[in-house]
Amino acid sequence: MEINDDIRDEKQSLEIIGRMIENARQGIQDNGFFYLLWGYLVLAAAATHYVLQYMLNYPYPWLSWAVLMPAGGIVSMIYGMKMDKKQGAKTYIEKNMMYVLVAFLVSLLIVLFMMPLLRQNTYPLVLVMYGIWLFCSGGMLRFRPLIAGGVINWFFGILAFYQTFEYQLILLAAAVLIGYIIPGHLLNMQYKKNVRTA
Amino acid sequence: MFAPLDPVLHSQLRLSVVSLLVSVRAAEFTWLREKTGSTAGNLSVQLNKLAEAGYIEIKKSFRDNYPLTECKITKKGIKAFEAYVNNIKQYIHQKK
Repeated sequence: MEINDDIRDEKQSLEIIGRMIENARQGIQDNGFFYLLWGYLVLAAAATHYVLQYMLNYPYPWLSWAVLMPAGGIVSMIYGMKMDKKQGAKTYIEKNMMYVLVAFLVSLLIVLFMMPLLRQNTYPLVLVMYGIWLFCSGGMLRFRPLIAGGVINWFFGILAFYQTFEYQLILLAAAVLIGYIIPGHLLNMQYKKNVRTA
Repeated sequence: MFAPLDPVLHSQLRLSVVSLLVSVRAAEFTWLREKTGSTAGNLSVQLNKLAEAGYIEIKKSFRDNYPLTECKITKKGIKAFEAYVNNIKQYIHQKK
């Protein structure tokens, strides 16, 4: 397509503006990688913790978190750096998403650090915070399954306050499945569809 | 009375570039080329014209030993784009 000519009329101007704004939106959507990575990691860590503690009576059941979470951090960093190079354009949404993500991670760290004080209330609070992140990032991406995932995490958070640690682990696993993994796969499917049609 | 349309923006490729840049924070040369479907030579010329008018900023650097050109719209560019869109709307309303 040759588009170096002069503009025919005003309608063509509007048409170009509309098409380019649409073009800019395509291909820079989220592919769901982080939701899938963290969703599966937390699911695996919670499930392993459950099996180690309640089925095998292993003395250090929390090891699953100690191994999987730093591994996830490293993979996220490498992937983030790689994506940053690949993208070609920096968007406003990404910047906003990053602020929300950092706010979430800092709050999460504070809550986890306060675990000795919070005790039984730690995981329910973690679920409530998962809700914040999912709801905000879903809203920014205009992606309803993530928003719904956020609401479900809040709901599971409330439930978890009334449960023993054993059931909190199961609730946590279910919450990441519904809140992260399913929306993550849906987001990835939409992303692939967009890339194909772009 | 119509305000005259900004000649810097009243060109297909330059208008395309500015429309893309209002939607993002910053964009690389290759991304703009891909999205506009233009040739590198032509895009380069038009980007320079936009930069001369003060509508965009061009930053040249290197990444992994390859030259990297990044473009960003300026406040002046955003104002010019908004004025252009408003003028066009007036033209179209008048024709109806």
